[in-house]
Amino acid sequence: MSDRILLEATGISKVFGGVRAVDDVSLQVREGTIHALIGPNGAGKTTFFNAISGFAFPEKGSVKFLGTDVTRMLNWRRIAMGMGRTFQTPSIFPELTVDENVRLGVNAHAKQAFRLRAPRGDAKAALDKRVDELLGFVNLTAQRDRPLSELAHGSQRLCEIAMSLSTDPVLVLLDEPMAGLAEAETERIIGVIRDLRERLGLTVLFVEHNMRVVLSLADRITVLDRGKLLAEGTPAEIAANESVRAAYLGEGVLDHV
Amino acid sequence: MTARKELLISAAVVVLFAFGPWLSPLLHLDVSIVSEVLVTAIAVMSVNLLLGYTGLPAFGNAAYFGLGAYGAALSVTYGHVHFIEAVLIGMVAALLGGLILGPFLLRRRGIYFGLLSIAFGQVFYFIAYRYTDVTGGEDGMQIARPYAGLPSAHVTVTDLGFYYTALVIFVIALFAFRTIVRSPFGRTLIAIRQNEPRVRYLGLNTDRFIFVALLISATMAGLSGALFGLLINFAYPLELDWHQSGYFVLSMILGGAGTVWGSLVGAFIYVIGKDIISTITQWWQIFLGALFVVCVLGFPRGILGTLQALRRRAAQQFADDDAHV
Repeated sequence: MSDRILLEATGISKVFGGVRAVDDVSLQVREGTIHALIGPNGAGKTTFFNAISGFAFPEKGSVKFLGTDVTRMLNWRRIAMGMGRTFQTPSIFPELTVDENVRLGVNAHAKQAFRLRAPRGDAKAALDKRVDELLGFVNLTAQRDRPLSELAHGSQRLCEIAMSLSTDPVLVLLDEPMAGLAEAETERIIGVIRDLRERLGLTVLFVEHNMRVVLSLADRITVLDRGKLLAEGTPAEIAANESVRAAYLGEGVLDHV
Repeated sequence: MTARKELLISAAVVVLFAFGPWLSPLLHLDVSIVSEVLVTAIAVMSVNLLLGYTGLPAFGNAAYFGLGAYGAALSVTYGHVHFIEAVLIGMVAALLGGLILGPFLLRRRGIYFGLLSIAFGQVFYFIAYRYTDVTGGEDGMQIARPYAGLPSAHVTVTDLGFYYTALVIFVIALFAFRTIVRSPFGRTLIAIRQNEPRVRYLGLNTDRFIFVALLISATMAGLSGALFGLLINFAYPLELDWHQSGYFVLSMILGGAGTVWGSLVGAFIYVIGKDIISTITQWWQIFLGALFVVCVLGFPRGILGTLQALRRRAAQQFADDDAHV
């Protein structure tokens, strides 16, 4: 972990129909951390995520990425700068094969997406190699020629993670990567998120609902509740925090820690 | 399909068309009708690129088609240019049309893109309709089919010569189309159709892709329009009309959206169907309309799209059988 701050959101606010979905929330993501953003349903996690990634601009506040103010920067430019993102409902190309899904981003990153002729020779070999690496990383090599719509939900999530990596990001944003998955698939995703840092040296910011997963995976946790910043700290600090316990009261998740 | 098999089938189709002038009398068709099939197929391809591949309702491509026809007709009438130059001028006119309309069309997606396309197309229609001094207005403008220029001057003047010229241009256009849709650019267009936000989240400015697709489409439609004008020796306002755009769209759906050869299949059925039915009854549009309805209900993926889906299913069946052995 370094002291370098990759992403800095300051005083983010967003109103939906009179409701303050996110109210004056600030957050810093340091390079090399796995940072979790948690909170009960309706806490404003995804809204905050959308503001960071440029899916919807915030009304107030600013977002700095790699030292540049990106608050009003179009999303595709942020991605080109080195931000990757997945969505709560996997955002994929269902009719394309697993290989093609990943290859699009690889082409984009290699500035090949605008080519009007299929690449050949060395250029093709370099692209193939990168696609192989990414499919190997999420362990989908065997399914590469199948349409993504035919794969299980967990595999679609893994493919989406590979897609978000295809543009060579330094920071990966994962929106509820374990939502709706069975136990075994959840374990697989947890392993991949660990690998993102251990093997690829990336920084991860992820939204998650499941406290137990978060406490075992993250080294920094930010807690939102009803649009406001409730607490921030290490897993141990968060587990001991009274107001976090109150917000999660009745769910019992913290008693087991 | 293997590359070899595809090449064989493609070659067979081209050879079949090479014998078109001998085959068409067997079907009681004039060779110029088969020329019209080839020429129309290029316009249907232009719609296919935008609608079938990129998912943009290209309901106004007749605008570029008409610009091509008028570009060729005006340059022949007032500039006395040769055939090839007339075609190139038609393509440039359509490309310019795309360059002017593109920035406005880019601002909308979905049905609003379609409505804007129709509206802009109608503007061109009314210009051709009203600007009587130059365009001949409602009556259109008669032109004499010009000589080819190089290498053999007389080729394009005869119906047979025109047919082979159209066939060569069609094959080039189809090959270019196939290359484009299979390139990384073409794959990105398909991705935009399926999930545009995700393409943006791969760091790509989708507007740029759509703009270039639009320019390619406009130029292809212009090529088709220029050839059509030279085929019938005539340019008239209805070529720019939204009904014309509709026929291109229906032909694309009939043949198979998002397939390389579907445009030819669709154009074939539309042009030949129109020709045969209109000799039997003047209400040919009713019967052609009924044919479209049946096809859309029976084969929503179009004729080629349905065939491809069936073959994939058969292949899957074999794969499953293998797995059980």
